[in-house]
Amino acid sequence: MPRIIRLAAATSAIGLALTACGSPAEEVAADGGGLGSDGSPVSIRVIANDAFAKQWQDQLVPEFNKKYPNIKVTVDGVPYNDQLAKSMLELTGTTATYDAVLADDPWLPQLAKTGALYDLKGSELAKWNDPDYDWADFSPTPLAAGQWDGKQYSVPVRSNLLLMFYNKSLYKKAGVKEPDQNTTWEQYFADAKKLVQDTDGDGKTDSWAVGTYFTKDPLTPTIWQTVLNSNGGRLLDDKMQVTFNDANGVKALQTQVDLLKYAPPGASTYQFNEPLEAFRQGKTATMFMWGSVFKGTAVDKESTTLTPDEVGITTMPAGTAGPGAHRGIWSAGISKKSTHPAAAWTWLQWVTSKEGEQFVAKEFGTFPARNSTLDGEPPADWAKPVYAALKSGYEVVSKNEMWRPRLPESDAVQQILALQTSQAISGQATAQEAVQRAADEITGLLKSKGYGQ
Amino acid sequence: MIGKRVRLGEPGTAWLFLTPALVLLAGMLLYPVFYTVWVSLSDFDLATFQPSGWVGLRNYELVLKDPGFLESLKVTGIYLVIALPLQMVLGFAIAFLLNVEWRGRGVLRALFLVPMVVAPVVAGGVWRMLLDPLWGVVNYTLGLVGIGPIEWIGDPTLAMASVIIIDTWRWTPFVVLIAAAGIMALPGEVYEAARSDGAGRWQTLRHVTLPLLVPVMAAAFIVRWLGAVKMFDIALAATRGGPGNSTNVLNLYIYEKGFRSLEFGSASSMATIVLIVTMLLTIVLFRVSHRLENRW
Repeated sequence: MPRIIRLAAATSAIGLALTACGSPAEEVAADGGGLGSDGSPVSIRVIANDAFAKQWQDQLVPEFNKKYPNIKVTVDGVPYNDQLAKSMLELTGTTATYDAVLADDPWLPQLAKTGALYDLKGSELAKWNDPDYDWADFSPTPLAAGQWDGKQYSVPVRSNLLLMFYNKSLYKKAGVKEPDQNTTWEQYFADAKKLVQDTDGDGKTDSWAVGTYFTKDPLTPTIWQTVLNSNGGRLLDDKMQVTFNDANGVKALQTQVDLLKYAPPGASTYQFNEPLEAFRQGKTATMFMWGSVFKGTAVDKESTTLTPDEVGITTMPAGTAGPGAHRGIWSAGISKKSTHPAAAWTWLQWVTSKEGEQFVAKEFGTFPARNSTLDGEPPADWAKPVYAALKSGYEVVSKNEMWRPRLPESDAVQQILALQTSQAISGQATAQEAVQRAADEITGLLKSKGYGQ
Repeated sequence: MIGKRVRLGEPGTAWLFLTPALVLLAGMLLYPVFYTVWVSLSDFDLATFQPSGWVGLRNYELVLKDPGFLESLKVTGIYLVIALPLQMVLGFAIAFLLNVEWRGRGVLRALFLVPMVVAPVVAGGVWRMLLDPLWGVVNYTLGLVGIGPIEWIGDPTLAMASVIIIDTWRWTPFVVLIAAAGIMALPGEVYEAARSDGAGRWQTLRHVTLPLLVPVMAAAFIVRWLGAVKMFDIALAATRGGPGNSTNVLNLYIYEKGFRSLEFGSASSMATIVLIVTMLLTIVLFRVSHRLENRW
């Protein structure tokens, strides 16, 4: 046998042997690993998003440890773009690094499909249930983000909605009535023309009507998806067949394309930070953005030039079926591969309890998912109108099913929509062409995955 | 009793010392390649996150019909055809300038190293800010002479130009370094002979310097080619491959297919195709470079 073949065979054998390496899953003790004691604490690990992992580690974990000092919690932050793949690897691996897994709204079906998440309302975790844990107190809209196939795989830890922020000073300067939940898209565009203005009188435009997602990003299509939903349309029907390649879908995408006419120069590259910065600097009169940025946009002096009195918040403009909003809930579940499910579930119950939720609402400005927090005494004056907008948003989101597709291929669908939305926004395709291409590609994708098309 | 001493001889000793490196190579290099090919020929089950059933060449058929993949091939071709020659010409031109004695060239030489040590993602992000039509210093400066604002990243054609500019800013210093080392190593006596024969500056450059530098140019080109063909971080940070597909280079497209859409079967097929094409083109480039070296 030639030497090169022998060498290749040997290296292949080593390579294949490496695939066989791995340790079997560890057994879970009958007490679920216990809750630790003074001399022998238990440790759990949480995989979270890097946007808030440090905040949780530095402030939320010490608060939890006041009640449960023998459960040591480590929160690892992962960049958003890597988090889904890393979580999938984690849940399908043989041993668990993480006891609790955080998921963005559209990821849950994919994570649940691995079979590696506990049903939080099921019998397996029941022996470690906190008797005071009140499931009925959750608003159904955020709670639904953690449900799939009739089971509750995760529970909301950071609730969010796409809402409309507006700068009251710029509205006043333009002589335009402030928007509310009855403002329609027609009215919004009529106002937008006046909101592109020269505020300092030097003859140059220095303030624009809108900032939001316009770049090629999976979150960009959520804007026109919201328009579509508020006109009664949907991306996919219950049989997972495309339903947006019609006049309603084209109109919705065209609405987002038209928004760019009233946005600052360079807005076609806006992702998350850019529209936020433009609004905080007083350069845009409105912003379609995740409501959770309110505190950093209107309250925190180190991050904004605006004050709570200047910033209004309401649902996005209304279509024929009602106002718009879009659900974006971070929820957390417990890995079945955890050797400490008792401690992990105890931690998660505390974080999402009335006490835990009120702590994060007060300290971080996180939006609540519980009715008792929404209806109770707000953590600060600024939160009162925000919670009102949030409650309206929760209602319309449930009514018009305003969320990203709920299927394991959700991210792949969103990627296709992101590309075609970008083609339309940059003028490389008309809204009609982009909608048709997106519909064809999504149909092809879902067909290849075994969905009847 | 004295045991018989085993003598491995020179080849045996060589293999013995090579074994740790070979095992490492097999684990770190060959295994991922085999695994990628395996995934490309399988159906990837998201529930187990493992390749499951054998599907033969189905993923390859789908990929070759995928308009996004074909467009990213075209985009990568445009980027390579413009960026590589530009960086080579600029790199050698700057190296010639730095080779001439003038005050301050040491400082400039040191400054040229800065782009190379900046992480590509940081470079993409910083340039994105510099080129921003509202806040960026580039448009501000152009605005002073009445130009703009220009949508550097938002316009499909200018976005590709911007990616090439950023990549050129980052990688030209690398070519400068190689070229400067090559120029400094040129034998002085050849120039003395050329002077004795009455050759002028242009003739010396055309008939002495450039032919002597061909091996250096070929080596620099091949190293840059291998770097450029895998470029995706600058495009990811600066444009995210947009607008549309206008800067969606192959590796970015594969990355998004794999790690965002979790379409690992398709992504692995694309990666395998790219690997084969790159290997073939690199072999061609090596042969051309050999021929050029022999010609001069």
